[in-house]
Amino acid sequence: MKLTENQIEELYKFTRKHYVYHYDVQSELVDHLANDIEEIWVAQPLLTFEQARDLSFKKFGVFGFMDVVEEKQKQMNKRYWKILLRFAKEWFTVPKIILTFVIFLSFFMLLQIQFSEYFFLGLLLILITYEMIAGYKIRKEHKVKEKKEEKIFLLEAMLGTTKNSYTGFAFVNLFNLVNLTRLDFSNLNIYWVFIISIVLTLLCILFYVSNYVIPQKAEELLQETYPEYKIVKNL
Amino acid sequence: MGNQKLYKGSLQTIILKLLETNDKMYGYEITQKVKELTKGELKITEGALYPALHKLEADGLLDVEVAKVGNRLRKYYKLTESGTKETANKLDEMQEFLRTMQQLVNPKLSLE
Repeated sequence: MKLTENQIEELYKFTRKHYVYHYDVQSELVDHLANDIEEIWVAQPLLTFEQARDLSFKKFGVFGFMDVVEEKQKQMNKRYWKILLRFAKEWFTVPKIILTFVIFLSFFMLLQIQFSEYFFLGLLLILITYEMIAGYKIRKEHKVKEKKEEKIFLLEAMLGTTKNSYTGFAFVNLFNLVNLTRLDFSNLNIYWVFIISIVLTLLCILFYVSNYVIPQKAEELLQETYPEYKIVKNL
Repeated sequence: MGNQKLYKGSLQTIILKLLETNDKMYGYEITQKVKELTKGELKITEGALYPALHKLEADGLLDVEVAKVGNRLRKYYKLTESGTKETANKLDEMQEFLRTMQQLVNPKLSLE
């Protein structure tokens, strides 16, 4: 006996109930459960759909789908960083390297001015506020999508939300560091100013790439990652 | 059914070997194939299979293909170029392991 369209839908809901929120992970599990249920019915034709489903789910062990989701998350994290580095690298090739150098030079000079730490704190505060607003907007959009039960892919969610956790954390940490130590940049050894400027330049690039470049290319990146992306979104 | 723990460390090698001989397979097919080949002696658990597949994919050893089968999507795995090379390495390692175990467990046999 083959599973009906409705029963497949039920299986999608079932994975959701067991903490699998993303469509790419869900669909692989649904196919697995469906195959197994059909196989179970061959041996025990009298079982109901629910009974066969629970029997099949039990085979995943006490943690259910958790291990699967966790490993998938790790895999996508790796992929996200690869994407991030791919775009960040562009900033070290002509012509963008000129801009990179200008950013570096501005930091390098600004930090040597007296009271530059206050300028720096102000700048960070602006960035943190901006990040918080952007993050709030994205989470709201996400909730709407979830309510509509739209199919969200894992990487899709990451392109939208990961950036905020990474860059946001980095900014808040920097702010605290500077604020607590009241570091007087202008009296620092020039080598330290040099190193700090490099780090800040890199942060700027990562911030820009994860907030602007990657979200703009999201559609392209998703199609590259998921062979099924086109089929699913056109359903 | 033997001690499943003994097979645990070999899961990746088993998957790679299967994909080498079968071109492309989906998750459920892999569990069934292993059951069939070992006559039920080894049952790959679902909770271990998919994490292993995702790890191999992340390492660039596997590539995926998705097809619509009936009313559902099916995800097929196949070896990439580096996956094929790694399979050869892993199988060599496995042979080495089997020889070593043989010497440890049954020294007389290995002297022959």
